[in-house]
Amino acid sequence: MAALARSLRSPRVLIALVMILCILCCAIFAGLIAPNDPGDQNLLSILVPPTWSPGGDPAFPLGTDSLGRDVLSRLIYGARTAMLVAFFASLGAMIIGTVLAHISGYFGGTVDWIIGRLVDVWMSFPPVILSLILMVGLGVGLDRVILAIILVDWTRFCRVLRSEVLIVTRHDYVAAARLLGFTHWQAIVREVLPATLPLLITLMSLEMAIAVIVEAILSFVGLGVGANQPAWGQMIADARQYVYQSPWNLLLPALAIFFTVTAFNLLGDGLRRTLDVRLSESGR
Amino acid sequence: MFALQALDLTVTARINGAVVPAIRGLSFELPPGKILGLVGESGAGKSMVGRAIAQLLPTGFAITAGSLLFEGEDLMEMPPPRRRALLGRAIGFIPQQPMTALNPVMTVGAQFDEHLARLGEGDYVERRKRAIAALAAAHLRDAGGLLGRYPHQLSGGMLQRVLIALAFSSNPRLVIADEPTTALDVTIHPQILRLIAEMQREHTTAIIFITHDLRLAAQLCDQVVVMYAGRAIESGPARSILSRPAHPYTRCLQLANPTMHNERRALYVIPDQMPSLRQLQKMPGCHFAPRCPLVVENCRRMDPPEVWIGADHRVACLRAADVAAIATIDEATAPPEISARIVLQVEKLQKRYRIGDKLFGGTRLVEAVKGVSFNIAENEFVALVGESGSGKSTIAKLLVGLEQPSGGRILLNGDDLTDPSLRSLVRRAASLQMVFQDPQSALNPRRRIGRIITQAMEAGSRHSTWQERLTRTKELLAEVGLSEDFATRLPGQLSGGQRQRVNIARALCNIPKVLVADEIVSGLDVSIQAQLLNLLARLRSELGFGMLFISHDLSVVRHLCSRVLVMYRGEIVEQGPIEAVFSDPQHPHTRALVSSVPPDDPRAGWPALKVALAEY
Repeated sequence: MAALARSLRSPRVLIALVMILCILCCAIFAGLIAPNDPGDQNLLSILVPPTWSPGGDPAFPLGTDSLGRDVLSRLIYGARTAMLVAFFASLGAMIIGTVLAHISGYFGGTVDWIIGRLVDVWMSFPPVILSLILMVGLGVGLDRVILAIILVDWTRFCRVLRSEVLIVTRHDYVAAARLLGFTHWQAIVREVLPATLPLLITLMSLEMAIAVIVEAILSFVGLGVGANQPAWGQMIADARQYVYQSPWNLLLPALAIFFTVTAFNLLGDGLRRTLDVRLSESGR
Repeated sequence: MFALQALDLTVTARINGAVVPAIRGLSFELPPGKILGLVGESGAGKSMVGRAIAQLLPTGFAITAGSLLFEGEDLMEMPPPRRRALLGRAIGFIPQQPMTALNPVMTVGAQFDEHLARLGEGDYVERRKRAIAALAAAHLRDAGGLLGRYPHQLSGGMLQRVLIALAFSSNPRLVIADEPTTALDVTIHPQILRLIAEMQREHTTAIIFITHDLRLAAQLCDQVVVMYAGRAIESGPARSILSRPAHPYTRCLQLANPTMHNERRALYVIPDQMPSLRQLQKMPGCHFAPRCPLVVENCRRMDPPEVWIGADHRVACLRAADVAAIATIDEATAPPEISARIVLQVEKLQKRYRIGDKLFGGTRLVEAVKGVSFNIAENEFVALVGESGSGKSTIAKLLVGLEQPSGGRILLNGDDLTDPSLRSLVRRAASLQMVFQDPQSALNPRRRIGRIITQAMEAGSRHSTWQERLTRTKELLAEVGLSEDFATRLPGQLSGGQRQRVNIARALCNIPKVLVADEIVSGLDVSIQAQLLNLLARLRSELGFGMLFISHDLSVVRHLCSRVLVMYRGEIVEQGPIEAVFSDPQHPHTRALVSSVPPDDPRAGWPALKVALAEY
């Protein structure tokens, strides 16, 4: 874990972590920070512009949407949705993908062939279409969104990690562990997994960015977390019709998505640079 | 005029901002048509010389003083176009790794043609004729057909012949051969060396022959320069250096090398290892002083001056006069009495592999091991020798259970390990262990040494307390001659020899009855090898385990083992007591193996070098 400590010294990772911490605070303390209830409709003051433009209302710092709901509060509560999806969806995809990748790469042979073909077939569906189809089948809701993303994206982990597992397993120390009496399970958990962990962590941070985007897409087409829960994609979809009257309503959630995705990508890139043994060796 | 002359050549390396000399004040003269051997262990700086000539120094390395004169012209001072014109024409190169030296996507012919075209050689037909003649001169059969083949279709020995033909095709005045045989099978070594010698005579080329093998250099070279930690410590006529070494290091190296003919003695152990570049930075005086048995106070203070001790025999040592006093402890290392109790019995062991794609395209069977039988007794070390691809490593894997045999039986203390109910590795772990070839790959870089060597204690359902493991760690470290503070280090912080000790310690954790050791000293330098061989001999007398020792180095095998099995194409073609087999080999392959070892006595001829080259 010395590598993880080292990665904290990378400016990329530090900046990314600060950004993610901001979003995370919004998500956790949404109830305290948000000035208004995100669901409260103020039909008397719809499409109020942000406070700094003429006609702004200090009660709604970033204005209101077409139903008179406070944009700032909706953005803050939207962060909660985004973070929940990002964390649990990538965790789920990571677990399924990692388990299958280790089984596949470690044992090889027929098991590897079957898992490999399953991934091939799975990946031949366009991911967004597949998740849309899944959402139609599963119905809307936060847990369904998470499930859909897991079911689509586990292949990404499986494919990339398998080749890493394959490389690690070829090392004599894995064979040596077996000869010393380690069971297959012990050999995988104690010898192979620690070596694939850096890649796994990197992949997971990148997957979080993807999960945020997919969630936004699903919410945008109305197959996301459901109408009663604020989500950034949904806000963009709502603001689309009034884009000429109040462009802020569209820009602000888009910016929020951009900010979050950039943070996760930056984190992933920084981790990759510091944790990847091959990169750090050739860089020296 | 000399073909090549180095004058006070100094190459420095930049390490973390500090400037460290990698080669210091190297001087030598190579007359035209002679062979100069640069001899030393890894890290001595011998390859750096060849790289300096080719202008291929690694990043951070630079020539900072002195000069390299090629026929009187300074290679460093001359304009780059002039130097480029010399390299590949007047100066040829024979690489260490023939397998990677040619472009894999171009035919041998295309690469030969490219080279000859660069030399300004006539038209295509003319060049093709020249190429065929050059390959034929390298004793390659069907040279015309060879030109149309790709590098991967040729064996390592053939590729090296092609590269030698390529290097000599321009009629060079100087050829640099950097360990040209190291990557090849031992049986091919004499042929390649003979070919180089033959080409050298025909073209009267001067050769710089870089090698780690002093005996080999003595056979092939006229002059030898022995290098240690970036310095020439001794130089002179090849034979007189080997028969009358004047530097303690040369003498120690000679005593550390197991012999093929003399009586078996304990090997001389040079303690510790060659200082790294980083350590050299703050090391005044003689670089060998920390390991030298004759060291005196002055050695650590001043750079030893070069003294002439013969017509052209120079040595840089204050105590050159006393070198003959260095001797091995007079300790017979005749293998101990072998007990009659057989621990491992192998009967008609077979292994067939099915290769090819199961779904698309056909498969075929490859027989890696064809019905091999042998026994190993308690505290008996049995050697398994043979060329690469003969099935040695497959036998190792079958014994320890990393592969399942296709037929035959393996009996360990009477239990049949091939019996499905006993197949489990957990059952085997306690009594049969393996020491791996590559210590880099065999040690988990994330585990500390203490946790590696007691790894067996966390296996399966065993739960050892921290205290138990700590005690065992200390015992094992002491057994393999490492100090206790190694327990908390990581494998990356260890040298090759130390890693191999850890590798052995791990295998010993459960006190096995039989060890399988696959080429465990082949990657190591002579002085480190001697340390490990002595360690293994000591462990045998202390712990009394039997061992299957797989190696390609017959002198190492002869030193350590009492019986030998010679493998050839998956079969044991000859076996018996070492002395009997090596002094009177019966099978042609055994004869080839035995004759490929250069003689210990530099005055004795090496018959393998005299035999006419076979067409290949």
